[in-house]
Amino acid sequence: MAKEDIELIKNGKRLDGRKFDELREIKIEVGVLSRAMGSAYIEWGKNKVIAAVYGPRELHPKYLRDPRRAHLRCIYNLAPFSVEDRKRPGPDRRSVEISKVSSDALSSVVMLEKYPNTVIDIFIEILQADAGTRCAGLNAASVALADAGIPMRDIVSSCAAGKVNGEIVLDLMKEEDNLGECDLPVAIIPRKKEVVLLQMDGKLTREEFKKAYELAVDGAMRVYKMQKEALISSVNDVIIGE
Amino acid sequence: MLYVQDGDLVIPGQLMGEKIRHDINCFHEGDKVFSSVRGIVRVEDNRVRVIPSSGGYVPREGDLVIGVITNILPGRWSVNIRSPYLCTLRGEEVTRDPLGVDLSRYFKIGDRISAKISMVDEVHSCQITGPWKLEGGIIIDVDPKRIPRVVGRRRSMLNIIKEKTGCKIVVGQNGWIWIKDKQTEFAIKTIKRIEREAQTQGLTDRIIKMLDKELSIKL
Repeated sequence: MAKEDIELIKNGKRLDGRKFDELREIKIEVGVLSRAMGSAYIEWGKNKVIAAVYGPRELHPKYLRDPRRAHLRCIYNLAPFSVEDRKRPGPDRRSVEISKVSSDALSSVVMLEKYPNTVIDIFIEILQADAGTRCAGLNAASVALADAGIPMRDIVSSCAAGKVNGEIVLDLMKEEDNLGECDLPVAIIPRKKEVVLLQMDGKLTREEFKKAYELAVDGAMRVYKMQKEALISSVNDVIIGE
Repeated sequence: MLYVQDGDLVIPGQLMGEKIRHDINCFHEGDKVFSSVRGIVRVEDNRVRVIPSSGGYVPREGDLVIGVITNILPGRWSVNIRSPYLCTLRGEEVTRDPLGVDLSRYFKIGDRISAKISMVDEVHSCQITGPWKLEGGIIIDVDPKRIPRVVGRRRSMLNIIKEKTGCKIVVGQNGWIWIKDKQTEFAIKTIKRIEREAQTQGLTDRIIKMLDKELSIKL
């Protein structure tokens, strides 16, 4: 499809009728997997992501063991059926990169020093992808970590902003991501608004970057509220009885 | 100054108060005190602590645990106590000459034991003492952070289950519970319900009611 074929912004509205600073619909479920220590499922627009936490458990290979802190291992995997053209299964350059930046982002909030010599394994499975999967995966993973009862300094919240047809917009969908000019995923620690992940694909001027960054942080704060709600309701909504 | 009340649910990183004293599962930055896990807040005269709603087991001195023998080493056994750390049982616990005799005479690989944790070091490796072989019965899995609810205050809940079902039950603090005797299935059902409803109020009454109802049907 040629770039000119789709009009991404029409009468001040985006392709799916959203405003520039509007998020897609988000649904978070906690504790969806019974065998995992903690798990979470997130539906973010058309994204469907499941995250599971196993551990702290024994770390193999042994040479990675650190007697001062735990090792946090994050594995991001895009399912073969998650995208339009079948994706070749297994890790590729992109998955390895996202695994690395996600585990770095989560390492900054988890109190790793409480579990020396062990590993905390996080698996992020993308069941359906529609742009912004690393943000959705990171949000699901931090909810799953809290569900696993692993001590953390805060929860990681994440959201992307970008530039489409010269306009700075929040939370890009697939068409906007593919045909737009720039994508800027940001992950923050909501309490202090510290940045734990920031990547940029495309070009922005200084002013545009500032605007996009502020928009993404605002979006992440809104996601944080949903994460908090999901975590609290998962404990409160226990069905009493058989 | 407190920002939360007794019984509130908090999530990791939530501000709980300023210039207050804090206990387990909390941390402070300057004067501010935050929760580090998801759980229920307990406030006791200007001191807060958080009771986590889930989590793994980290060995603690004095805990009674249930373990499975995983290996026989020279003069000692290694035991799986459902934690990521090494746990050993010294041969001296059962014999005067642990290097001279065949240790599988006492405990074989796969044997289930209950024992007390006698020592934990800086990296949480531990030693257990006073092993007791658990023959027959089955072991069930419960979230270790919900074990205090299964046991109850001064073992009240556990005594109720034992009395009503007539089962032999050993509760390990590591989340493994050994059950033996006739009404095993019934005891498991009760314990699983306690685990699921651990954070609700008035649980003891509901459990007594449930046990009475089910037992009257059986009679």
